[in-house]
Amino acid sequence: MNARRWNPLQFVLNNSTLILFALVFIGFSLSSPRFFTVENVINFVKQASFTGIIAVGMTFVLLTAGIDLSVGSNMYLSAVVSGLLMRTMGLEVLPALLVALATGTLFGAINAFFIVNLRIIPFMVTLSTLVIGRGIGTALTESQQIDLPQRMATFGQGQLAGIPMPILLFALVVLVAYFILTRTPFGRQVYAVGNDVEAAKKAGINTDRVIFMVYLVSGFCAALAGFVLASQVIRVDRSFAEGREFDAIAASVLGGTSLFGGVGNVYGAMVGAVLIQMVQTGLQFNQVNLYLQPMVRAFIIFITVFFDSLRETTQARLKRRFIRPVENREASTPART
Amino acid sequence: MSAILDIQSITKTFFGVPAVKEVSLRVAAGQIVGLIGQNGAGKSTLMNLIGGVVQADSGAMLFQGRPYAPRNPAEAYRAGIAFIHQELNLFTNLSIAENIFIDAFPARRLGPLRLVDRADVSRQTKALLAQVGLDLSPSLTIDRISPGERQLVEIARALHMDASLIILDEPTTSLTARETEKLFAIMRQLQAQGKALIYISHILNDVLALADSIAILRDGRLVTQEPASAFDVSRMIALMVGRSIDSLYPPRTAAPAATPLLEVQGLSAKGIVENIQFTLRQGEVLGLFGLMGSGRTELARMLFGMDSFEQGSIVIKGQRLTRHSPRESIRRHIAFVTENRREEGLLMNINIADNIALVALPEFARTTLQVLDQGRMMSAARSAAGVLQLKSGDITQQPARSLSGGNQQKVVIARWLLAEPSIFIMDEPTRGIDVGAKYEIYSIIDALAAQGSAILFISSELEELTGMCDRILVMSRGEIYGEFARSNFHAENILRAAFREEGVKPA
Amino acid sequence: MSVTTPSSSPPPPALSGLALAQPGAAGRPRLAFWRRLLLSDYFVLYLTVFLFVSAAIIFPRIGLAGTLGLPTNISNQFLNMWPLLAVALGQTFVLIIGGIDLSQGSVMAITSVIGAMVMSTTLDPAMFDKSPVWGSILTAEGGLLRASPELAVPLGVLAMLLVGAGIGFLNGFAITKFRIAPFMVTLVTMTFFSAFALWLTQSRNISGLPEEFLRLGTGDIISVYLGPKLEAQIARRDILPAIAYPTVIALGLALLAQVLLKNTVFGRQMFAIGTNRRAAQISGVPADRVVILVYMFSGFCAAVSSILYSARLGIGQPSLGNNLMLDIIGAAVIGGTSLFGGKGSIKGTLFGVAFFVLLLNMLNAARLSPFIIDAVKGGVILLAAFLDVARARLTSREQHA
Repeated sequence: MNARRWNPLQFVLNNSTLILFALVFIGFSLSSPRFFTVENVINFVKQASFTGIIAVGMTFVLLTAGIDLSVGSNMYLSAVVSGLLMRTMGLEVLPALLVALATGTLFGAINAFFIVNLRIIPFMVTLSTLVIGRGIGTALTESQQIDLPQRMATFGQGQLAGIPMPILLFALVVLVAYFILTRTPFGRQVYAVGNDVEAAKKAGINTDRVIFMVYLVSGFCAALAGFVLASQVIRVDRSFAEGREFDAIAASVLGGTSLFGGVGNVYGAMVGAVLIQMVQTGLQFNQVNLYLQPMVRAFIIFITVFFDSLRETTQARLKRRFIRPVENREASTPART
Repeated sequence: MSAILDIQSITKTFFGVPAVKEVSLRVAAGQIVGLIGQNGAGKSTLMNLIGGVVQADSGAMLFQGRPYAPRNPAEAYRAGIAFIHQELNLFTNLSIAENIFIDAFPARRLGPLRLVDRADVSRQTKALLAQVGLDLSPSLTIDRISPGERQLVEIARALHMDASLIILDEPTTSLTARETEKLFAIMRQLQAQGKALIYISHILNDVLALADSIAILRDGRLVTQEPASAFDVSRMIALMVGRSIDSLYPPRTAAPAATPLLEVQGLSAKGIVENIQFTLRQGEVLGLFGLMGSGRTELARMLFGMDSFEQGSIVIKGQRLTRHSPRESIRRHIAFVTENRREEGLLMNINIADNIALVALPEFARTTLQVLDQGRMMSAARSAAGVLQLKSGDITQQPARSLSGGNQQKVVIARWLLAEPSIFIMDEPTRGIDVGAKYEIYSIIDALAAQGSAILFISSELEELTGMCDRILVMSRGEIYGEFARSNFHAENILRAAFREEGVKPA
Repeated sequence: MSVTTPSSSPPPPALSGLALAQPGAAGRPRLAFWRRLLLSDYFVLYLTVFLFVSAAIIFPRIGLAGTLGLPTNISNQFLNMWPLLAVALGQTFVLIIGGIDLSQGSVMAITSVIGAMVMSTTLDPAMFDKSPVWGSILTAEGGLLRASPELAVPLGVLAMLLVGAGIGFLNGFAITKFRIAPFMVTLVTMTFFSAFALWLTQSRNISGLPEEFLRLGTGDIISVYLGPKLEAQIARRDILPAIAYPTVIALGLALLAQVLLKNTVFGRQMFAIGTNRRAAQISGVPADRVVILVYMFSGFCAAVSSILYSARLGIGQPSLGNNLMLDIIGAAVIGGTSLFGGKGSIKGTLFGVAFFVLLLNMLNAARLSPFIIDAVKGGVILLAAFLDVARARLTSREQHA
C-alpha cells in the first residue's frame, strides 16, 4: 500500500512543532551569539516552567474536549491563600505548598461540579470562575500586594544536583503526567472519552468520573504553577498570572493537542511551553520592542494551528470510507449488456 | 437443549409505529442463529433491545435462565452480551490492547499510582488476537489497521469479557473475501466453544452456510424460526418479501416521456462507485435499489455535487455540469431529499415555515439588502404545506422537531417544491414513517412525475420500488448490477441481483 | 427442541397502544406556571424588574429612595448600557451561528487607538516619542488628519469601523477557508491586535480628541430637567440626557441587527447554519460567505462600541476592552443565547445587557468592593448558564410527554 511511503509534506505536517522549534532555536542562535549558551537555555526553561506546568494540566482537560479558562485565576487565588498564611501565620514553605495545592484542587473540583453534575458547558463555567476566582483573591488581599518572606525566595532559587527548583518541579510534573496518561487505566480512559464519549459509556467507562478528575488535575497543576511563579517573583499582586490560561492553551495546542479531544500528549505541551518562552527570550536578546513580543507569539500559534488544520484535511481524505474493497476482491464483474 | 437467550413476545413501538411486534426468539448455547429480513423489518430494533440500547414496551427476555432487562449498553455488556455493530465501537486513537482492556485494565500499584500492567495486557492481548487469528502487535493503534482487522479486534474484546452471547450485525460489509473467511472460521470456533452467536446479514448464502437456525423477520414480526436445513435461498427471499398488498401504493397516473433530464455517464470514484451509467427521463420514477452499503447514498451525494468523483460526467437537460456543488445543483433545479432527516434535512429547533422557506429564501428577497417579503414567503410556505396536506399547528410557531416522521418528510419535500425543481433525488424518503404517511409520500411522488418532474427514488425497501417505479436499477458494491423494466418487476430476481446471486440476467 | 415458531405461542393482547399513554403530565398547574415563566421570552426582563423592585424593598437605603432610583443614576445606567449593548450584539450574531469571538476586546483596543491616531489634535512628545509611528502619523500637532480637521472625525470614525470589520473578515476567512476552530482563530487575533494596539502607542493613552467626536459618547439630543421650575438658570449637572448620541447609535445598531436577523435572507441563513450546518449547505445556503459576514459584523459592532467608549473617555485607549469578554458573552447568555448555536435574539441580548448593568449598579450602590462585585458577576452568569441548561431540559421533557 502506498500509504506507508515516506512523504516529505506529510513528514513536515506531522512534526511541524519540532521543526518550528528547531528553526526558531537556530535562528536566534545565529542572530545573537549569547543566546546559545547553557546558562541562557537553563534560564528560559526555568521561565517556561510555570507555563509548562499549567499546560500539562490543560492537556488533560483538552484531551476530553473540554477547556479550563480559570487556570490563571486559580494560580492567583492559591498563591494568595498560601501567601497570606505564610505572612500572617508564618507558615513554612512546604505546608504553604500543601495549602496552595489543596486550594487549587478545590478550585478544580468546583469547576468539575458545575461541568459534570450540573452539565453546564466548560467554557461558561471556567470563564465565570476565572472572574470569580480573581475577585475573591483580590478581596482577600484587599487589593494589596503580598510580599512573600525570604524563605520563599530561597525555595525558588534552590537547586538540586545543579538543577533549579522550578525546572525540577516542571520535569517532575511532566514525568508524572506522562506516566498517568500513558500508563494508568485512568490516563487511557481520558483518551477514550475524548475520542468518543458515547462509545466510552458503552464500553463501561465511568465517563463522569473521568471528566471530573481532569479538572482536578488541571486545578492541581494550576496551584503548583502559581506557587512556582510566586517563588520566583516573591510577591503576589493583583495581576499575578493574569491571562496565563491562554499561554497554557497555546502551549498545549502547539504541542499537538486538539481542541476537539482525544489527541495530544504532555511531551508536546512541554515543547510548546518552552517554545513560547524561547521566542520571548530570543526577542528580548534581539532587543525587540516589548510590545511586539505577543504579536510574534500570536503569529507562531497561528502557523501551528494552520499546519494542524492542513494535516487534518490531508488525513481526512485518507480516512474516506470505502464501500468497495480497493484491493481487487474477486474476478466477478457484473453481467451487463 | 436449553436456550441461553429466550425472548418472549417482545414489542417495541416508536412514535406509535410498532418496530418489533410480539417477537419470540430462542438462542441456544453453541448455536449460530441467522437473522434475516428486509430493511425496516425490525432486525436492528430487536438487536437494540437485546443490547440495551432501547427498552421494550412489553414482553420479556431471559438470559441464562434469569430475567434480563438491560437499561443501557453497559449493563448488557456486563451481563455477558457482546454487540458488534456495523459501525465499530473502537477508540481509533488507542492501541488494540487498550481497546480490549479499556474498562478494566489489569494494574499494579506503584506508590500512589495504579499503573497498567503492560506486560500482562500485552500477553493477554496476544493470546486473544491469536484466538481470532490476528498476527498484529497489541500496541498498534486502531486507526492503522484495516476494517476487517478492526472487526476481529471487537471479537477479541468479546472473548476477553467472556461474553456468552455475541451479536454480529452485518460484519462483512467492509471486509475482503479473505477477511470474511477468517471471520467465519472464528465464528465456528466460538460456536464449538459453546458460545451463542446471532448473525445478521444480507448475504443469504453466508447465513445459510453458517447458521444452525434461521429466523426471518418481516414488518416487525417473526415469520418463522426453523433449522437452517429447512431453507434454501429462494425460500428465504420468498419469506422475507411476503405477499404484496396492492392497496399500499397509489396507481400511477401518467407515463414517462422520452425527454432525458439527467444523464449520468461513466461516473467513477475509487473505492466507492464504478462506471455508473443511466438516464432519467421526464415524468419518470426511476428506482435505485441496493442493500445497505451498496453505494446508493454515495452516488446520490455525488449527483447532487456534495462529494467529488474522479471520472465521468453528469448531464442536465443536455448541458454537461462543469461545477459540482449543492448550490449549482439547486440552480439547475435538482432537489435532494436526504436519507436522514435529523442530520442532513431539518432544522429541528426552528419553526416549520422557516424550514420550508430555506432553499427558496433568495426568491423571497427584495432590494439589495435582501429583506424578506415575509408575507409572500409565508403564503408560499402555507400553500406548499397545504398541497402536501401537512398536519401541524401554526407553521410559524411550531418547531419541526415536534412533527411526526411523515410530516417532517413533507416539510423537507415542501422546502424543495418552492425551488421548483425538475429532478428529485429522494434517498429513502419513507424511512421511519408509518404506513399511512408512506401512502401520502407515494402520492406526492406520483403527482410530481405526472407534472413532468423526474424522480430518482432510492430505497432499500424493494416493495415500494416495485409499487411505484417505472424502472428499477439495482446497485451492488458500487456498481449498477442490473436493470429491470416495470413489465419485468419480479421481487425475487431483483433481490437476487442485489445479493449478486448467480444466474440473474439483468435486463 | 431449540426452535420455536411464532404460531405455537398465542398472541398476547396488543399492548403497544397502552405504552403510549403517559400518566398525568397535566394536573400540576402550579408547576406549569413556573415552567411557562422560565421558558418565556421575557424571563430576563421579569427578572430585571424583580431585581430592581426587590432591591428597592430590601435595601431602602440604596433603593428607590436612595441613589438607585435617582434620575441621575437611571440616566447614568443607560449611558453604561449602550457601549456594552453594541458589542454584545455582534457576539450574539457569532453565537447564533455556533461560533465564538474572543477578539472583540482587542478590536475595541486597536480601533480606539487607530481612531485617536487619525483624529487627535495635540500630543505630548514626551509621551509618544517612543511610538513607532511618531513623526509620521503622530506628531506634536496631532494625528494623521491634523491638516484637515473638518475631515478628521468622519474619516476617523470610518477608519475605526473599517478596521473592526476588517479584523472580523480575517477571523471569518481563517475559520471558513483554513478550517481552524473559531476559538483558536479569535484567540490569535485577540493576542495579536491587543499587542499591536499597545505597541503603536507604547501603552499610552492618546488624548486631544476633537469635540465633535466626544459628543458621540456623551452628547444629548433631548435633555430633561426634573428640578423645580422656578430657577432662571439651571446647573449643567441637573440637566440629564434622556436621549443621547450613544442611545441613538446603539439602538440604531440594535435595530439594524434585529432587521438583519429577523427580516432578511441572511438572518434566516444564520439560524440555519447554527442549527444544522450540513442541512443548511445541502439546502444551498452559502455557509462560508454567511460565516465571514457574521464575523465582520461582530468586528463592526466592537468598533461601534469602541467609538462610544473612546468618545466617553475622551481618549484612545490601548487597554480598552480588556477583561470585557465575560461581560459580553455573559450578557448574551443571560439573554438566552446558546453557545451551541441556533438560538438567540436581539431582544434577549438587550434585556441581558440591561439586567447586567442594573445588577452591577446595585452591587456598586451596596458599596461592595469591586472584587466582590466581580465574583458576584461571575456567579450570576454561571447561574444564567445553569438556567439555560434547565430550560433546555424542560423543553426536551415536554417533547417526550
